[in-house]
Amino acid sequence: MGQFPSLNQADIEHFDKVFDELLGKSEANLALLVEKAGYLIHQRGSQHSVDTTTFATLGSNAYNAVQFMAQLVNETNFTSMYQQGEKFSTLMVNVDENSILVLIFPTHLTVGSIKYFAGPAAKALAARIAVAAGRDPGVGIDLSDMDAADVQSALFQKND
Amino acid sequence: MAIINQATKELQVKIVYYGPAKSGKTTNLEQVHQNVQVPETSAKGKLTSLATSSDRTLFFDFFPLEAVAIKGFKTKFALFTVPGQVIYNATRQIVLRGVDGVVFVADSQYDKMEENVETFKHLEDNLKTLNLKLEDIPCVLQYNKRDVPDAAPVEYLDFLLNNREVQMPTFEASAAKCDGVFETLNMITRMLLHKFLNNGARK
Repeated sequence: MGQFPSLNQADIEHFDKVFDELLGKSEANLALLVEKAGYLIHQRGSQHSVDTTTFATLGSNAYNAVQFMAQLVNETNFTSMYQQGEKFSTLMVNVDENSILVLIFPTHLTVGSIKYFAGPAAKALAARIAVAAGRDPGVGIDLSDMDAADVQSALFQKND
Repeated sequence: MAIINQATKELQVKIVYYGPAKSGKTTNLEQVHQNVQVPETSAKGKLTSLATSSDRTLFFDFFPLEAVAIKGFKTKFALFTVPGQVIYNATRQIVLRGVDGVVFVADSQYDKMEENVETFKHLEDNLKTLNLKLEDIPCVLQYNKRDVPDAAPVEYLDFLLNNREVQMPTFEASAAKCDGVFETLNMITRMLLHKFLNNGARK
């Protein structure tokens, strides 16, 4: 499992463009790019009262669980996951080794149409992530101007 | 593996609380959630528990927590627990995906020693399936339930779980009373930031 690359402003703007096009064409409410370890990377659309951080974590773990199920039946990959609700539905689509695209959309839209638009969007996101990975392979955060004293003190304090 | 977003100046790090059934993993997260000081409410996310009807962790507990920005980077810690019961080992593997740091919560009761050792072995095995080695990721041992009457001596727990060339930091705790909970959390977060500091210097 490789590492999700470090992103810059141009990457985020590219994601916005892909998401805006996807949401515009599909009429989905919300699109999330989620790393499979559970991190919300980027989001676009109407959040309403959705706790997108928690949603991303639950989604990625559910997706990973389904991948595990796939292995148990000797299926190499289940590339998408769909849940139908009464008002809203969700579709999770594989982007690349490390990430998935999560969509929330009104139930009156068909999953077929959402999948139709999500496929190219996932490919576009994967291509940009590959660009980011190629630009800065394996390089993490630049904390070279930090010293140990910066992290000596306790980060979290207990309430009195 | 941690996520670094240079555009939004965010560092996201995953910490997994691992340990045998009923050792206090969920209690650790609940205590942090209830008692942590935050500069603003948005820094502390909701504690989500996927539990059975009898409050045993079925999949995981999850709680996002932001720390004070370091060198302009907002640091977000995602705290997870795994289910302690052996039958959920596949679930543990799923939750461990992308882990950056581990807190192993051991149960200090004498009759739990075998479970502690077995679960620790499972942790190492599960990390191997993710091509990770315990030595390569920050890990803290928490000896929980120090307040029970039949608690095993710390030296015995050290012998069973920390008998290695490079020892892991250990903390005595009574998570139900919030004793040792923040000390453990602060140690693992410090170790993780040190790790990123050292790795970051290679740019």
